[in-house]
Amino acid sequence: MLDAVLLFREALYGALVIGLACSVLGVYVVLRRIVFVGAALAELSSAGIALALWLAGRGWMLGIATHPIALALILTIAGVLFFGAGGSRGRIPPDATIGVTYAVAAAIGIILISKAKTGEAHDIFLQGNILGITRGDTLVLLAVAVPVLLIHAVFYKEFLFISFDRETARTLGYRINFWNLLLYLTLGLVIAFAMQFAGVMLVFNFLVLPAVTGLLLSRSMAGTFFWSILSALVAAVIGFSLSVPFDLPSGPAIIAVSGVLALLAFLVRLAQRR
Amino acid sequence: MANLVSFDHATLGYGRRVILSDLTFTIPEGDFLGMVGPNGAGKTTILRAILRTLIPLSGSVTHAPGIRFGYVPQRDQVDYNFPLNVIDVVMMGRYDRIGLGRRPGAVDRKLACASLDHVGILDLADQPLSALSGGQKQRTLIARALVGQPNVLVLDEPTNGMDLVSTTQILGLVRELHERDQLTVLMVSHALNEVANYVERIALVVNGGFRIGTVDEIMSESVLSEMYRIPVDVDNINGHRVVVARRDGQTLPAPNA
Repeated sequence: MLDAVLLFREALYGALVIGLACSVLGVYVVLRRIVFVGAALAELSSAGIALALWLAGRGWMLGIATHPIALALILTIAGVLFFGAGGSRGRIPPDATIGVTYAVAAAIGIILISKAKTGEAHDIFLQGNILGITRGDTLVLLAVAVPVLLIHAVFYKEFLFISFDRETARTLGYRINFWNLLLYLTLGLVIAFAMQFAGVMLVFNFLVLPAVTGLLLSRSMAGTFFWSILSALVAAVIGFSLSVPFDLPSGPAIIAVSGVLALLAFLVRLAQRR
Repeated sequence: MANLVSFDHATLGYGRRVILSDLTFTIPEGDFLGMVGPNGAGKTTILRAILRTLIPLSGSVTHAPGIRFGYVPQRDQVDYNFPLNVIDVVMMGRYDRIGLGRRPGAVDRKLACASLDHVGILDLADQPLSALSGGQKQRTLIARALVGQPNVLVLDEPTNGMDLVSTTQILGLVRELHERDQLTVLMVSHALNEVANYVERIALVVNGGFRIGTVDEIMSESVLSEMYRIPVDVDNINGHRVVVARRDGQTLPAPNA
């Protein structure tokens, strides 16, 4: 079993980097109730990848099409600017706008990938191909995750304040739009890069389940971050270690372990209340 | 007394939509002003102009140099799902003084504790915010506003959704802060009867109209009937003024109709 895991250790390292970055950002995603913004951004990113593959298959715009991350980033950043600026104007509720973005981006992604000539299967597109992560990919993920996490470590106080009580932060001179946009931008960057390897489902899982586990186990922000990160890393290691020898799809295996950890956290919370 | 905030023929609104026009009034140092009116009348718009988060469409709103506001938002504006202790929340009132990218230190914690003591809930410092009662949450938000050492304490609907006991305690605390610390206070509320018995001046924002004066000037049947466009009685019960709309009162035409 260990040999099999070691064979794919680069993939495990990649999953750990994705889990680490997403589990930190996920605390804000869950607390700010923008879980489905995360999902919509992930779908926009996947639609960008699909567009790149479709263009490549047709021999069009090969400069950009051979770098799917470029189109994934463009679409994700467009989503970041839209949602970061409020997401909705007028009579359409914000959650409806998120739902429309999610559904349309997912549909366009699937349509484009079905017409792409690269032969990518839809389920790979949804689940990602985490086993295919190379050392180079992990380094790219690190190059994105480390600056994002540094930004979050340095400006923790600012992100916390504008997330918790934006009106009061505004009266103290905080530029809410700037900090909001920076938060969404870091989220979009991590999602766009993670999506390439982990797929929509696993990225969404890492954004939500570890943070929920953290919130169930802790009553402080520091504790929530700690448990969120730990549960993401533990889920990645156990899920990955089980998936390789038992020939299970890695992404869903990691998600299943995340679910079990969240359930355990819920039971611990219940026991504490009694 | 120096003026801390001055409105000079200010027209307020969003984009092309005018909410209130030609406002001229001042908030002098040491004032205890209640801004009263129904929901949607424009109180929040005036509040934003006072707090410098809304620029007037025309006219001007000027502030005394170095003025600091201690803002107490409506309780439901704050998200109680965040896993924060009372002391964490109070220290947020010093975040702008701490500076970008820096964390609160021992001095900030000490000041936050002093502020909690000032509002009578120091013993709750390490309690989760979500575990507090409505009145305790309001005291926490007042402590946060005070820890920044403001010139003006601004409270937005501080008693909204509170029972009689909590309402009385919070309004009593605000008056105490005004009298004991000579703090300038602006309190926004839709409840005229509550505010009128605590503040010294009232700004009435009703039906697109604006009127400001001492409590005696505003709490008259003629002024209130004109502003609310419904006949009202102003009664005095044990020194407390109570406004009651007449049961058979017909809506009155607008003053300029």
